[in-house]
Amino acid sequence: MNSIGGAPLFFLEFGDIVLYFTPYTVALFLLALVFTVLAIVSRAENQVEIVFGTDAYYGKEISVDEMRFRRFMSIACGLACMGAMVTGDLFDFTLFVSLVGICNVGIVAAVKTKHVQNAAFQYGIVALTATVPLFGGAAITAATTGTLSMIALGTALAGPVPFIAQAALVLGVMGEGMAPFYAAKAEMFRAPGAPYVIMCSFSSLLIFLRVVEVVLTI
Amino acid sequence: MWNQYSIGMAVVLASGVIAFAALAFERDDLHRLLLIDLVEIPSLGVVALLGTDLAEALVLPGLVVGIAELLALSHIYLLKEDLRDRPEGYLHIEVVEIGHAPVIIAVLLVVYGLILSGFTGGGIAGLGIVFFFMAKGHHENFSLLEAAAGISWGIWVCSFFVFMFLPQYWMLAVLGAGAGILLKVTAKMSLVGTMWGKPHE
Repeated sequence: MNSIGGAPLFFLEFGDIVLYFTPYTVALFLLALVFTVLAIVSRAENQVEIVFGTDAYYGKEISVDEMRFRRFMSIACGLACMGAMVTGDLFDFTLFVSLVGICNVGIVAAVKTKHVQNAAFQYGIVALTATVPLFGGAAITAATTGTLSMIALGTALAGPVPFIAQAALVLGVMGEGMAPFYAAKAEMFRAPGAPYVIMCSFSSLLIFLRVVEVVLTI
Repeated sequence: MWNQYSIGMAVVLASGVIAFAALAFERDDLHRLLLIDLVEIPSLGVVALLGTDLAEALVLPGLVVGIAELLALSHIYLLKEDLRDRPEGYLHIEVVEIGHAPVIIAVLLVVYGLILSGFTGGGIAGLGIVFFFMAKGHHENFSLLEAAAGISWGIWVCSFFVFMFLPQYWMLAVLGAGAGILLKVTAKMSLVGTMWGKPHE
């Protein structure tokens, strides 16, 4: 197998689901790991807002419950991200990606502000519709080539993967990874978000990088 | 050219287009939430078109992901529209005599479910238990059922680890997984609809 991300360093087999580590996926995996550790150890940012036109300012407090929930969601998001980085099974990959989507909805939605929750709701609808092309792409791949293993698909043995399946896969990942747009709109400036909201952007970036490798390999 | 798979795919794509069009035209958030459920079905349809036992294994996680996102979205909808529990208005129907439904129906369903075994059997046995609770009024000990569901899920997962790492004991794993999924689906089915609402002790 000659992956676009370099020669595989080693394989980890769980039955027919094989995780494979190439220099590319190892780098992405380590990044996800580092960010998950950062999400575990860091504390929520407390924002200070200046009242317009005066010298007064007020600080925003974050309740412990909210912080705890968002931290849990960030850690879950990091774990799902790590799984999506190294998995060698196409359907497994789509499941991890949709898990990243759910966690991102959770991170954004935990903020108890009306406009943030509106954005989270719209993003959730996009993420849910994106599961159609995501699962569709994996299913069409399995139907035409008879396998879901990226390692088998990487060799010439398992016929070519139809273009429509690759396109659907990319479209699905784009839908699930839309979080940063909604998060930026609703959160970055208005709600106390760091460091957990960074996880939204970061996980989206990672799954985008990984899906490029997947589509080029299969 | 037009074999069964292509025809099925055409039908699924058409229904997908209809569902997406409906979603694009709809402006009300609650209706969009309901339409999302409709959009979810073509995605399961595409997977089911594989028509092998692999499809069965793939539909289940797809369904779980869909339901999880739907639950999360409905919760966000409740929060953002600030909807709370309203005081429940009970129907006051005067009944001359309250009689319980015969237990034998529930027993028959459970026994038939046990004979079928596996996923279908779990569904039918669960239906029997739901029927029993509905007939008796639900004041039973649900924490016991939750524990049973959790433990059987554990058995199921352990069996899969046996499949992966100790394939020579596959017979034991088949028995464990079969019993586990039967108990799990039974317990889950009987919890459906009863765990919502008031927090219980």
